[in-house]
Amino acid sequence: MSRIETFYEVMRSQGITRRSFMKYCSLTAAALGLGPAFVPKIAQAMETKPRTPVIWVHGLECTCCSESFIRSAHPLAKDVVLSMISLDYDDTLMAAAGHQAEAALEDTIEKYRGNYILAVEGNPPLNEDGMFCIVGGKPFVEQLRHAAKDAKAIISWGACASYGCVQAAKPNPTRATPVHKVITDKPIIKVPGCPPIAEVMTGVITYMLTFDRLPELDRQGRPKMFYSQRIHDKCYRRPHFDAGQFVEAWDDENAKKGYCLYKMGCKGPTTYNACSTVRWNEGVSFPIQSGHGCIGCSEDGFWDQGSFYDRVTDLTQFGVEANADQVGMAAAGVVGGGIALHAAVSALKSAQKKTQDKPASEEV
Amino acid sequence: MSERQLLVGPFNRVEGDLEIRLDVAEGRVAAAWANSPLFRGFEMMLTGRDPRDALTITPRICGICSISQSAAAAFALAEASGAEMPEQGALAAAILHGVENLADHLTHFALFFMPDFARPVYAGRAWHGRAVEAFTAQEGSVARALLEARARLFHIVGLLGGKWPHTLAIQPAGVTRTPDARDKVKIQTALRAHRRALETVLFGARLEEFAALDSVAGLEAWGTGAAGLFGEIAADLGLATLGRGPGRYLSCGAYPMPEGRATRAGVWEAGALRAFDPAEVVEDLSHAWMLGGAAHPAEGVTAPDEDMREPGYSWCKAPRLAGGTVEVGALARQVVDGHPLALALADEAGVRARIAGRLLEIARTQLWLEDWAARLDPAARFMGDWDLPKDGAGAGLVEAARGTLGHWLRIERGRIAGYQIVAPTTWNFSPRDAEGVPGPVEAALVGCPVVEAEETPVAVQHVVRSFDPCMVCTVH
Repeated sequence: MSRIETFYEVMRSQGITRRSFMKYCSLTAAALGLGPAFVPKIAQAMETKPRTPVIWVHGLECTCCSESFIRSAHPLAKDVVLSMISLDYDDTLMAAAGHQAEAALEDTIEKYRGNYILAVEGNPPLNEDGMFCIVGGKPFVEQLRHAAKDAKAIISWGACASYGCVQAAKPNPTRATPVHKVITDKPIIKVPGCPPIAEVMTGVITYMLTFDRLPELDRQGRPKMFYSQRIHDKCYRRPHFDAGQFVEAWDDENAKKGYCLYKMGCKGPTTYNACSTVRWNEGVSFPIQSGHGCIGCSEDGFWDQGSFYDRVTDLTQFGVEANADQVGMAAAGVVGGGIALHAAVSALKSAQKKTQDKPASEEV
Repeated sequence: MSERQLLVGPFNRVEGDLEIRLDVAEGRVAAAWANSPLFRGFEMMLTGRDPRDALTITPRICGICSISQSAAAAFALAEASGAEMPEQGALAAAILHGVENLADHLTHFALFFMPDFARPVYAGRAWHGRAVEAFTAQEGSVARALLEARARLFHIVGLLGGKWPHTLAIQPAGVTRTPDARDKVKIQTALRAHRRALETVLFGARLEEFAALDSVAGLEAWGTGAAGLFGEIAADLGLATLGRGPGRYLSCGAYPMPEGRATRAGVWEAGALRAFDPAEVVEDLSHAWMLGGAAHPAEGVTAPDEDMREPGYSWCKAPRLAGGTVEVGALARQVVDGHPLALALADEAGVRARIAGRLLEIARTQLWLEDWAARLDPAARFMGDWDLPKDGAGAGLVEAARGTLGHWLRIERGRIAGYQIVAPTTWNFSPRDAEGVPGPVEAALVGCPVVEAEETPVAVQHVVRSFDPCMVCTVH
């Protein structure tokens, strides 16, 4: 195998200055929750390690993940990450076309056998031998299996690849199936959300490229650094929830005052994601800030949980200025339920994916 | 060897999956078949759900035109329930939608269409060096500059809609977010920055000047910015006569407002404009892998033929207007609206006309957005009251970046009983109908030059991409 250039070499050849490079290293450390002591470590890793090739494939999906990705916050972060991963194969953005493109995929697999990361956007439909999604004359599921065989690790971008998302909604006409149910012998990192937040995507990829291992994952296979807290935990409207101040109807006085959207069906209390901290579109806002409740798009099965405007539980409303302990206990009840459910799901799955859970938190 | 068959695909740099089969004879395309190889079955999933779920489910048909889908769903629900948007709500919805359409046009121009001219096959052309510098995939200076401008433009959607893609803010009776005075200033600031990017990189002159073009000669004389580079390339490669569409254009009128839609609705054919009657829309299933007969979308069903029997060759249905094919998109919208430059290009109807129509719409949309933002009134109401009916029906017709998008909804006993979607690319990339008439892109490809050694003919790619296909919307 030919020598692969280092991240740093790639960046410099893209015209990124040393100063910008160092700035990027500190930003990354901050985004990943690492202290300043890690900055030189990241820098050194990027100067000496060969860049990690990435193959990006698309199944049943809507390309919203790619869309999110190319709009990540810090333009530098996007440039650096894009140049780092170079998207050796990406059928939405790459230059080549047709058979040429297919050849590029084969070349990349061949050249970086066992070393590349496979990023999957969307998922394979399994009904009718996969004929509902055809890439290059073959069912996507074949391309996926083929590209996964020699991958070092797999990233499941978004709710589609992680859980199935809307195309798996009842009656799931095409039997759209998440990646981990098709590929069972590789470490898989799930980055759910519809789409995932751009900064979360670049953060995950940077971490993997810098430290050459998967970030620490929770029991569902999601990176803990972005998915360990509920939207509700860091929601700027949380004080209104605690004070029992709720929006009762769209655009009412309470809506104008920015009260809590719980009664409008907000799923923030049961949704684990970084929206309320990282926010969207370069940190501008997030759905709750726009006056619409969270729909829980980073949770498994969010598309089939009844109306998006139903309340999450039958919790009776708290009195205005309710006792903080009462509210806390009620909220803890919700969390407890959520975790129990997660645990049950995980236990069911663990039987079949024991092999991939193990290496998840260690070297890939 | 003068006759052969080619299978072009997968097509990259289009949204979603597409395969084109070509019969080539004497160095030209003799016949073409467009296959949309991706099917998900949204219309089947929507049946039986709470009608409001359409607001969340349908945007997820597509990650690049999600606001168009959400607007169409909201208007269909509005018609079924009698809900009306207050003036300011309609204005905010138009701003959200306009930003997305504008951004989609930029993506198409900079990331999907122009990079083809940076290919080695054109080395030696006078403009090739500049095309490489400006548009090489992921690296070109113009591509990067517009990608960045576009990301900043989306701050407006952030402010009004919380997140993009898959924004939730547009509801049947308005929008969920009331912008405050500070938001209004931020929106206007973002638009000013965006104007600067368009004027320096894309047009190389003031927007108003491009929007005021009224003749083909004027377009050909435009020499500045990336638009000028495109003009030079178009002249050199004869893009004006490449890929002629049907010359029949449909638009339902973009951006519904209390005072009417911002652009005219109608059907333009043979030099004359007539009214658009949605009742004339029929979806033909003769060459789709779909069961059932031709039907108006309000009565249509989606039942995929899992055996994929012939003569079907695509998951895409074939919508026809009064029995004929129509082209939809930026050019169609501008022609129907009666813009003089678009009218001058209406009969040309080829690759150049489509791209010029899109550039024209970029300039005009930016001007509309500036006007609408100035009219925002934070003290007003942005959402009215509405109640979901137990039974009802409604259609939501909007103009997405790529053309006319329709949602037809039927509610029975408080649940969705029928939902049919006809997307812009369903019109443009439809398969043949029962009469054997090819869809617009299939017809446009006939006559396209194919060089002997070419496996993926570059001219075919120009034609296909000039329509800006969105394949995930096509079949959904």
